[in-house]
Amino acid sequence: MANSHIRLSRRAMLCGSATAGAALLITGASTRRLMAQNAPEKPREIIVRAWGGSWVEALKAGVSDPFTEATGIAVRHDLTEDNEIQPKLWAAVAQGRIPPIHVNWDTTTNATKSALRGVTEDLSDVSNLANTTDLAKPVGLEGYPIINTYGYVYVLAYRPEAFPDGPPTSWTALLDPKFKGRIALYNDGIGFHFPAQVAGGGSLEDIPDNMQAAWDFIAKVKEQDPLLGEDPDFTNWFQNGEIDIACTISTNAREARKNGLEIAWVVPEEGCKFDTDGLWIPKGLPENELYWAKEYVNFALTQQAQQVWLDGLGLPGVVPGLTPPEDLVDDPSYPTKPEDFAHLIRISAQVQVQNESEWFSKFKEIMQG
Amino acid sequence: MNMPAAQPADGERHAAVLVRDVDMDFGNGPLAVQSASFSLEAGRFLTILGPSGSGKTTLLRMIAGFQKPSRGQILIGGKASDAVAPHKRTIGMVFQKLALFPHMTVNENVAFPLKMRRFNPKDIPERVARYLDLVRLGGYGTRRIHELSGGQQQRVAIARALVFEPDLLLLDEPLAALDRKLREEMQLEFRRIQKELGVTTINVTHDQREALVVSDEIIVMDQGRIQQHADPVAMYRKPASPFVANFIGVSSFLKGEVTETGLSVNGFSCAGTLPRNMSLGSVAQGAIRAEQIRISATAADLASCDTTLQGTVTDTIFEGERLLYFVAVPGLATALQIYHHDPLGHAPHDRGAAVTIGWNARDLLIFPPQNM
Amino acid sequence: MPETNPDFRYPLRWRIMDMAEAIADFLWPRRLSKYTGWLFIMPALMLVGILVLGLIQIADASLRTLDTATYLPSDNWSLDNFQKALGSSVYFKVAWRSLLGAALTTAITLCFAFPYAYAMVRTQSPKVRKALLIALFLPFFIGQVVRAYGWLILLGNGGMVNDVLGLVGIGPVRLLFNYPAVIFGLVQYMLPFAVLMLAPALTAIPTETEIAAGSLGANWLQTLWHVILPMAKPGLVGAGLVVGTLSLTDFAVPAMLGGGSQDFVANAIYDQFFRTADQGLGAALALLLVAVGSLIVGLVFMVFGAGTLSMGARK
Repeated sequence: MANSHIRLSRRAMLCGSATAGAALLITGASTRRLMAQNAPEKPREIIVRAWGGSWVEALKAGVSDPFTEATGIAVRHDLTEDNEIQPKLWAAVAQGRIPPIHVNWDTTTNATKSALRGVTEDLSDVSNLANTTDLAKPVGLEGYPIINTYGYVYVLAYRPEAFPDGPPTSWTALLDPKFKGRIALYNDGIGFHFPAQVAGGGSLEDIPDNMQAAWDFIAKVKEQDPLLGEDPDFTNWFQNGEIDIACTISTNAREARKNGLEIAWVVPEEGCKFDTDGLWIPKGLPENELYWAKEYVNFALTQQAQQVWLDGLGLPGVVPGLTPPEDLVDDPSYPTKPEDFAHLIRISAQVQVQNESEWFSKFKEIMQG
Repeated sequence: MNMPAAQPADGERHAAVLVRDVDMDFGNGPLAVQSASFSLEAGRFLTILGPSGSGKTTLLRMIAGFQKPSRGQILIGGKASDAVAPHKRTIGMVFQKLALFPHMTVNENVAFPLKMRRFNPKDIPERVARYLDLVRLGGYGTRRIHELSGGQQQRVAIARALVFEPDLLLLDEPLAALDRKLREEMQLEFRRIQKELGVTTINVTHDQREALVVSDEIIVMDQGRIQQHADPVAMYRKPASPFVANFIGVSSFLKGEVTETGLSVNGFSCAGTLPRNMSLGSVAQGAIRAEQIRISATAADLASCDTTLQGTVTDTIFEGERLLYFVAVPGLATALQIYHHDPLGHAPHDRGAAVTIGWNARDLLIFPPQNM
Repeated sequence: MPETNPDFRYPLRWRIMDMAEAIADFLWPRRLSKYTGWLFIMPALMLVGILVLGLIQIADASLRTLDTATYLPSDNWSLDNFQKALGSSVYFKVAWRSLLGAALTTAITLCFAFPYAYAMVRTQSPKVRKALLIALFLPFFIGQVVRAYGWLILLGNGGMVNDVLGLVGIGPVRLLFNYPAVIFGLVQYMLPFAVLMLAPALTAIPTETEIAAGSLGANWLQTLWHVILPMAKPGLVGAGLVVGTLSLTDFAVPAMLGGGSQDFVANAIYDQFFRTADQGLGAALALLLVAVGSLIVGLVFMVFGAGTLSMGARK
């Protein structure tokens, strides 16, 4: 058995070396690790949960395919929604079963919930962590139950056609009567609570204790009959001409623009929510599979992997020296310099985790009313 | 009393129902009804009798106005039957499957036509009670339909069809599904009620006994054509065709050449009654009722008969109040059927016994060839 | 002695049945035949058993509150989740929207399904009947989600309907993402179910009964009201129960055609399970939905009988 794995790994290596230019997208350090004779037995495949569409395409191109090339381990992508995989993982860990996936690509907030629940493996020993920025470290948690892999911005996306007098500068543009019924938000209001707090005249320091300003502003937006949806909905709605303006992750707006739609986005004066996504590994995997799952996460932190993956997403990564995609140079949704971050609102995952369900239900209460 | 098939113009004027040259063509073969004509005086009880597929139900449905004749005219009380929408006609109908309303009580069923026809609501309960009494269902008003016996359901259907005092009552084989005892009881009930109210009634049935029992007049239909229209006695005694003779009562049939005195069947001389204008030597058919043939072990007993023949008993059927003999006569194609009444219930002739049979000339009816 | 004919063989179907019987005899000997009934309902009993187990687990979960510091359910039981569910105006609103939606959908669906079923049952032309049947079954092959997606395309701002409206100078009109759109989608989804439930009930009403009503003096409206509708009641109740319960608990149509702001109870439950990870509250909501649904069905049974679902028993 061991022989066949070594052979497989050698063949993969040969393949890799034969591929000119693209040869070995991995750093020397990880090459040594991947080649190590004492590495545990390789699983046939590892399963990575991912978001569909352009999200999984980017992950495949930047991380999964090169990882397979380097190790011979196939990567299968499970496109179950992050919210739906969560209870399954929790149940698997609670019942001592082997979890259905090896690596979960998750929002930091959701991942933090899993970390608090104690279903995540500690990733402090992932070697490439040494070469990451502060963004990679989850705030308010012991060690690295998750590793943040990039940041993203909930921008104000709009159809320039609907703004003949120039781009909107404030979230209060949502209250313009001509956009009644042509606004879209996430259906739990994620990404919108904090700018709403500012736009409603409140202060960020009052989060989470006093968010009345946010609720008042959201109630006014409710009068505008907004559509509520998920990531794919935004692209669809823009594409079908259902909406003019939305609070969405820049990636979705960029995707619509790639499809040939006239879409632009701004960070309004009140600011935008900045958040991170990360990777984590559920507890309960067999020893060898855990090892290779960690190798996958490690691989995702290499500069080459980050560059390709995040070019696809159009988002800023967590290792230094990445270059932004051409269309996003100096774009507010791709912060690189300290002054770029000045307009972005970051709230600790801890606060978000503890209050999120309350914020969600408050948002629901207003929107379903 | 004889009802001539063709009505004089004078009779038509008083007719409650007048059917003139009616055809019904469903477009899938021969006409379902062909040149049907008859008239019915007010207060009379007419039965249209025929086997299934004879067109009797189609004719009734046209009279009821549910179907429009392809040709011809139907007048009810002097008015064309299809000139008025079905729900505005004053025709009461009792249906084959009764078509009672299972979700209503007996009272509600009977009150239904009164309500639909906007009778004074104050009069309705009294009238419903009166008609339930008429059909002997007094006190059953609050019952549900499924709580009643088959006969009681019949009575509800009759009361419902009569309660609004229609000019015409139509009965579409309502007794067909009942067992014999109940059917005979209901036949008498129909007759009693019809006589009590004097409502003009047309009944459709395939049961010849029912036709004889209940009717003032009978129309026999076959293959879409009216075969005969007469009162029951005439219909029985003087069937107009072998078909009628066969359909009503039990008859034996003889086929032969016409002679001066009757028929010559395979050389046997059979005395019979000849219609006018029969040419000698032509082939014709004769029919004789089972009760008109006498049977005896000794030829001397039948000396008074116009015709006697020797034969052998091939079968004996006990029918309770009488016996039916099948007697084969060598040289005749079919066995003759003979009723024998014996008050003591004896069967004087065993199977295989040699017997003499005989009849009188007036009882063998010979039909002109066009009616064969 | 009858002669045995060497050429005589049983038809193939008989031989197959004989063989099947022999195998059945071997697997389930005849002396066990009095338990055969139990054997056959075993799968059903197991399914019901699993359902009951699931309900018990849900009931257990509903009594545990979520601690957002650890994201674990509490160890001790409390009625907090029910209190939260019953005390919240948003769940009241969502419940009311679901109930009203189910009632409206049921009423409108029955109004459309009745004439359709009637035409299908009473038409004299086999061609018309076949066409109606095909039109009825076609949607069954197209799933609920695909159909809802079809409506998104047809009724969207750039959809066919708005294109037509545009030709006469109207619009584009927002036809989607509101309450009427949800009801519309539900009615369209439920129509075939209702027609299928109504058709047997209408077939059971003899044509003669309708003709009889006419001959007794009822016009078509009176016949419909006094005779056909009351006699079709079992079908109407059965269809109403199926449509009502399916609408009350529907998820996909409110989610897709409601634009996110027209949640039904099922959507609220989904949110608790999958968006805020509060399984306790989700379980409590699920139990309340089961309770309210059962209560309504029970009331309908009491008032109208079980309709065609009573399997011939009277009330």
